Amino acid sequence: MIDHDESLANDPLAALVRASAPERFESGFRDRVAARLHAERQPALPAVLQRQFLRIVPIAAAASLMLAAYNWWGARETSSSPIEAVLNLPQITLASAYSPSVLYGAAAADTETQ
Amino acid sequence: MPERTTDADLLASARAGDDRAFAALVERYESAVAATAAGMLGPGDDADDVGQEAFIRFHRSLDHFRGESSLKTYLVHIAMNLSLNALRRRRRSVFRFISRDETPIESAEPSVGPDGNVDVEELRVLVRRAVSQLNEKHRAVVVLRMFDDCSTRDAAKILGIPEGTVLSRLSRAMKELEALLAPYIDSGAGVPETIR
Repeated sequence: MIDHDESLANDPLAALVRASAPERFESGFRDRVAARLHAERQPALPAVLQRQFLRIVPIAAAASLMLAAYNWWGARETSSSPIEAVLNLPQITLASAYSPSVLYGAAAADTETQ
Repeated sequence: MPERTTDADLLASARAGDDRAFAALVERYESAVAATAAGMLGPGDDADDVGQEAFIRFHRSLDHFRGESSLKTYLVHIAMNLSLNALRRRRRSVFRFISRDETPIESAEPSVGPDGNVDVEELRVLVRRAVSQLNEKHRAVVVLRMFDDCSTRDAAKILGIPEGTVLSRLSRAMKELEALLAPYIDSGAGVPETIR
């Protein structure tokens, strides 16, 4: 393999090209890199949201479990299914669903009794 | 930070989170990265962005740098890859900037001083402009070999091509540069002694 290194060493054009290499960026380059590095270290919004979400999830889950347990404990004997008890769903029968108080609200039920 | 501090010391400090050590490395290798980025993309914001990105990527990979190549070669490698990506993006860009590549070299006739020599700085600008007129492959070889002073082996490694290809591209690129710069080299307006 022919190496051009030696021929280029004495070539005036090569010397001219070598001497023409861009030497620096615009002044303040080091500071611009430092500023970008600093900005990169600042957590990005998605990362912040993710961290907050991960913090909130266990608290929300614990609160939900406590509420479910409370509901279940209060309605364990009256509810027909554990899910109804846990979700604190009112018991609805066909008759109660069509009662005036359900269909037209409490005021209608009052007038009916009067 | 004293200049005699070795790269290894600065690297160790930078890895430990010393920003001043990293800043010293930036200062030390700014010229190598500038030669690559500005040589490939021309002076301006694109080159500056590539330069910054090269150092940011280097910072991210501080722990992975094992010193198998010199720090300069490592940084030049990053800067060259980023520059080539930037050139690809430029080509893909629908709204093309008016490329300085299209500026005829004759449009910037260098002034000749009383000693009959061309102004050094103007001549350098002319040479950079001539380099920017080379095609991307030839330009990359000239930038690595002439601007960055990389060895043929390092240039081949950085560009992922055989050493023979580096040499042939360099030879062709130098011929093109000779043709582009002939008026200033052959004319009476000589190249100043300082860069001969």
